[in-house]
Amino acid sequence: MPVLWIILIVIAIGAVGYVATRARAMASAGNDARHLHSLPSYYGYMAFLFAAAPAFLLLIVWLIAAPLVIEKRVAATLPADVVEQAASQNLLMAEVRRVAVGLDNAVAAGVMDEDLASNARADFTDMTARLKEAGQVITQNVTTPVLRAAQMMREANASSRLWMTIAVIAVAIAGAALAMMRAQRDYRARNVVERGVRWMLVGAASIAILTTVGIVLSLLFNTIEFFRIYPASEFFGSLTWSPSFGGGSELGIWPLLWGTLYISVIALAVAVPIGLFAAIYLSEYASNRVRSVAKPLLEILAGIPTIVYGLFALLTVGPLLLAAFGDGGLGWMQSGTAVMTAGLVMGIMLIPFVSSLSDDIINAVPQAMRDGSYGLGATQSETIRQVVLPAALPGIVGAVLLAASRAIGETMIVVLGAGAAARLSLNPFEAMTTVTAKIVSQLTGDADFASPEALVAFALGMTLFVITLGLNVFALYIVRKYREQYD
Amino acid sequence: MNDMRPLERIVDTDNIKISAKGCQVYYGDTHAIKDVDVQIEDKTVTAFIGPSGCGKSTFLRCLNRMNDTIDICRIEGEILLDGENIYDKKVDPVQLRAKVGMVFQKPNPFPKSIYDNVAYGPRIHGLAKNKADLDVIVEKSLRRGAIWDEVKDRLDAPGTGLSGGQQQRLCIARAVATEPEVLLMDEPCSALDPIATGQVEELIDELRSQYSVVIVTHSMQQAARVSQKTAFFHLGNLVEFGETGQIFTKPEDPRTESYISGKIG
Repeated sequence: MPVLWIILIVIAIGAVGYVATRARAMASAGNDARHLHSLPSYYGYMAFLFAAAPAFLLLIVWLIAAPLVIEKRVAATLPADVVEQAASQNLLMAEVRRVAVGLDNAVAAGVMDEDLASNARADFTDMTARLKEAGQVITQNVTTPVLRAAQMMREANASSRLWMTIAVIAVAIAGAALAMMRAQRDYRARNVVERGVRWMLVGAASIAILTTVGIVLSLLFNTIEFFRIYPASEFFGSLTWSPSFGGGSELGIWPLLWGTLYISVIALAVAVPIGLFAAIYLSEYASNRVRSVAKPLLEILAGIPTIVYGLFALLTVGPLLLAAFGDGGLGWMQSGTAVMTAGLVMGIMLIPFVSSLSDDIINAVPQAMRDGSYGLGATQSETIRQVVLPAALPGIVGAVLLAASRAIGETMIVVLGAGAAARLSLNPFEAMTTVTAKIVSQLTGDADFASPEALVAFALGMTLFVITLGLNVFALYIVRKYREQYD
Repeated sequence: MNDMRPLERIVDTDNIKISAKGCQVYYGDTHAIKDVDVQIEDKTVTAFIGPSGCGKSTFLRCLNRMNDTIDICRIEGEILLDGENIYDKKVDPVQLRAKVGMVFQKPNPFPKSIYDNVAYGPRIHGLAKNKADLDVIVEKSLRRGAIWDEVKDRLDAPGTGLSGGQQQRLCIARAVATEPEVLLMDEPCSALDPIATGQVEELIDELRSQYSVVIVTHSMQQAARVSQKTAFFHLGNLVEFGETGQIFTKPEDPRTESYISGKIG
């Protein structure tokens, strides 16, 4: 039975449980809700919770665990010589899975009937012919043992699915029945629902955290794999980045890190003053009418996809800069793609981040601070410079560091605006590239996934992750340390 | 009401420092202050009393044009400081506020050191020629704020770390440091405990020797204790203005009498 159907059935059981339990609770209180411990609907919610929560939990665990168990059992049946021949058990199992899916599809398409698909003595050539006829991909690797393994896998899958359906529905019914039995007038259903809600929220929070952990782990394992085949001293020590997929590449991170930092610094040099001044204008000087128009307009900038900024860099800012600093002008610039181009455009992208956050923070400075300063005969700009900004400083630093993490992680603007050459240079009018842009180019090539040239992407990603994580932690620290100073 | 000590106080001088004539204040469509005439004397503590929302704080904020920061606020009539209309176009409100200092209801020290809090005004107005000069001003102001002994060893500590009463005295020292001629106090003791209130009241009495002090208060006992002149506001009107002793013993207006005897407000 498809999973969707199972889910719908469980929900239906929960709904029936809701109605039945609510009615039973009401009956136990002589149909007067005032005699119940909780509102009648709480008994119903409890029934739904009892039916759905364990059932869905079981469903999820089964869906994750069953393929692993089945695959292990099937893999054990493959003869050792076949495995050796295929060089890798993983590759062979991938083949088995593909054939199993192919058989399923063939049955679904009507080319094969169920008996033939699961017939353990079916003729091998006939099967492959039929599979091909059904439009399923069959490679040379499909041999009799693989076919038999695939058949076994299908069988195991089918029975697993059947048992899963039975188990999940049984659990749901049992849960609903349990709730119904407990639905007496003194039973504290409200507290049970409260606990249920709490665990639901805990679950949501842990999914977010576990995903982060998963991302870090996947990065970490690949990074370790990379450092096993490429020396870490080279990666962190070499000043050259020249990957060549034929082998013998030099993969030093410094040119990329330099490009990242250079572009980020230029971007921040653009974004921080403009964003901060805009925030000061909006929060301190602008009238309500101006603010209600200008603030959303400024925030539109944050909604523009970065690829559009990239096009802006490539088509507008690059040529403009080239006209001024290129051969026709000062002669410092060779082409439109340069650190300066990407940095300027990225700075524009970051303005709303800085201004919007700073604006909120400046608004949060108590009016009493401003009154105190005005009461001493300070002007508006003196008040802002000497009282409001120092009070808002921790928050502003937080905003700037957040913008910095955005700048460091930015990719599209760099790809289109800064070029692809990894070089260590001080001239901001030269093309450079960043860590993120190189991660893309290393992983989108035709390289073997096990080669250092591809795996280096994970090491780069990990380095970047550590840097931005450090920045975020630092930002949090700054904000916490100075937050409550004006209270 | 046992605590009230309506004394016959002799006012040192009858120099008029601030004089309001036909003052009207509107918040949007609300008529907050109705035709107030009042004369505030130099070197005198004048108390504004009245029930909440009667306009006493609003009127106080008119005296140093703090209401200018509120967009919808509109003022008519004239308020003269030393004979000069402070709402005249020639008058710079920033300069005015240096002359008419203000202390607020809630202590609001800046998130800076105690020293920098007091040095803030003198620095903006360039009152000190050098660092030594500034040190002298800071010390003098803190002494006048009756807080010097408590903070002289920790001038670098943040002003926000002081207790509520200390913070309020720091704010008074901060206001005094700019050498104002008039000191406006908007319920300066409402956030303080009785001991801190006592200290601030003592301080207000000392300040009288040099400044004209105007204090808004909810506590009639406080008005009786610290002021020489009292103005009673009700619903935006100035009901009665006179010697404190007279207001509290022989009020002329029945509304004043009802208020001070606790029947209204």
